[in-house]
Amino acid sequence: MEHVMTLARRVSRFSLWFSGALVLLAAVLIGIDVLLRKFFHTSIGGADELAGYALAIGTSWSLGAALLDRAHIRIDSLYGFFWRWLRLAFDFVGLVLFVGFFGLVAWRGWSVVQQSWVSSSRSHTALATPTIIPQAAWVLGLMILLAVAAALFVHAAVLIVRGDAGGAARTIGTRTAEEEVEEEVGFLKGRKSGGGVR
Amino acid sequence: MLGTALLILIGLLALAVPVAAGLGVLGLALEWIYSKLPLNLALGEISWAASNNFLLVAIPFFVLLGEILLRSGIAERMYNSLVLWVPWLPGGLMHTNIAACAMFAATSGSSVATAATIGTVAMGEIRKRGYSERLFLGTIAAGGTLGILIPPSINMIVYGVLTDTSIPKLYLAGFIPGFILASLFSLTVLICCLLRPAWGGKRTSASWGQRARVLPDLIPPIVVFISVIGSIYTGWATATESAALGVIAALVIAAWRRSLTVSMLLRAFEGTMRTTAMIMAILIAAYFLNFVMSSIGLLSKVNDLIMGLRLTPGQLLFAVIVFYVILGMFMETLSMTVATVPIIAPIMFKAGYDPVWYGVLFVILTETAMITPPVGINLYVVQGLRKSGRITDVIIGALPFVLAMFAMLAIISILPNIALWLPQIAAK
Repeated sequence: MEHVMTLARRVSRFSLWFSGALVLLAAVLIGIDVLLRKFFHTSIGGADELAGYALAIGTSWSLGAALLDRAHIRIDSLYGFFWRWLRLAFDFVGLVLFVGFFGLVAWRGWSVVQQSWVSSSRSHTALATPTIIPQAAWVLGLMILLAVAAALFVHAAVLIVRGDAGGAARTIGTRTAEEEVEEEVGFLKGRKSGGGVR
Repeated sequence: MLGTALLILIGLLALAVPVAAGLGVLGLALEWIYSKLPLNLALGEISWAASNNFLLVAIPFFVLLGEILLRSGIAERMYNSLVLWVPWLPGGLMHTNIAACAMFAATSGSSVATAATIGTVAMGEIRKRGYSERLFLGTIAAGGTLGILIPPSINMIVYGVLTDTSIPKLYLAGFIPGFILASLFSLTVLICCLLRPAWGGKRTSASWGQRARVLPDLIPPIVVFISVIGSIYTGWATATESAALGVIAALVIAAWRRSLTVSMLLRAFEGTMRTTAMIMAILIAAYFLNFVMSSIGLLSKVNDLIMGLRLTPGQLLFAVIVFYVILGMFMETLSMTVATVPIIAPIMFKAGYDPVWYGVLFVILTETAMITPPVGINLYVVQGLRKSGRITDVIIGALPFVLAMFAMLAIISILPNIALWLPQIAAK
């Protein structure tokens, strides 16, 4: 199981880098497009369309990583008062509902891809992109989310069977505000004392 | 129908179901109970359309921009420079905190990023100069909220997309209220320190030579600000394009400061995409929920219900403000925005309120939600920056600034032109 989780973490980290690179690329492309338009009265054409695809693909590829890092917001005003096992039960409910909903998105998304394949549709723009290309990449990201979520579910269940409730809570529980902030602060302090930056 | 919907939503959220899943599952539940049509067949199309919406591309751009500014030390240099320029008032560096937050807010679209950045660089100064710790912490928590009122602003983008309101107009409308609110914060510090001189700490002084020497450190944030905001108003760029220009400006500055490395970029990518995925997951679910709510006629029911109360526009406004102040105590702000704006904003527009003006009012209400306990993200951020002490200190320290925000809400309600004047003259 540990191997599977290590793999899941590696895949999600790579997905984050890939998505971030897509977004940066989109920013640079748009920036160049604006400058070309302003100073040379010309345009690459379709930069906005490509940036839209970058957002869609970047989002779906990062959803799994955000799930692993417990970055999806949960309101813990009441949850904080629950008894530990009850909290864990709701962690599972939350995970299942999240995956259930986005599983449905992936399923319906797949129909969208099929539709594009059957009708070989293209975007109504200068690029006339075959819409199946960005849509397929988008659905692939959703499938990565489902794979990561399945691994996470099994991992947490195994921990519970072993009696490691704390470990399970750290895997699928809410990030308490303190924990979340600690990370941010930990980084900033690291940078400050590291001193290599300035 | 309305009661059932509310009950399901509150139930799901109270059980700490992820907000995105809560909204999505609510949509599915409402479809199952009230709709004869299989609405979820449209889920694929809706999600795809929301995911590649060009307006929303600005969100990852602004998050990335903030990450780069933070990780390249640009923010820290800006603060250290402002330290020498602002602190002659009673309350000293607490005014610096507010000024630094306002200035950083002009490059950042997020309140959490603003509070975390300025807080990190400011925190060392409390003990050193004998300030009232609580009030000092309060200036950072409250000052940080300016991040979403002074343009650019992720929350204004989300509001603009949800209500079909012009984002450049919202940006323009946020300027003067942002400046006034920052001044009100400073005034709050001033009053507190005049009432209790011991809170004000030791004042520092700097020679004009020193001040002149650190002036160049203020240039990078100004360059980013001009790239983002200037490009919109000269008509060079749309809201999303201007965010892209901001990212490029930040990259150039980081390279110039020799802090642009592959590992810095990868860390920035990780932070950016985690946040983006979280926001987009909520937005995708919210789009689907709105589709279901309007298909089954829920939106018009809420509308009829509130119209049936026959409130005057003034009463309606007051009710909305009270509603958000209370809801904001318990709810995270992005979730609050996507869950309520599609329902309440149209009612306000129908009552005759300007969408741009209401957007600014809503953003100020969102800021209040960020520093009111028990759920106030900026309170948590500032508490997290301290090594010791209880969160109660931050809560108490932020309280005077909540009053300042109430004053701001009153000012903008009585004088709506504070928000509307700039967009109006720009339109001419």
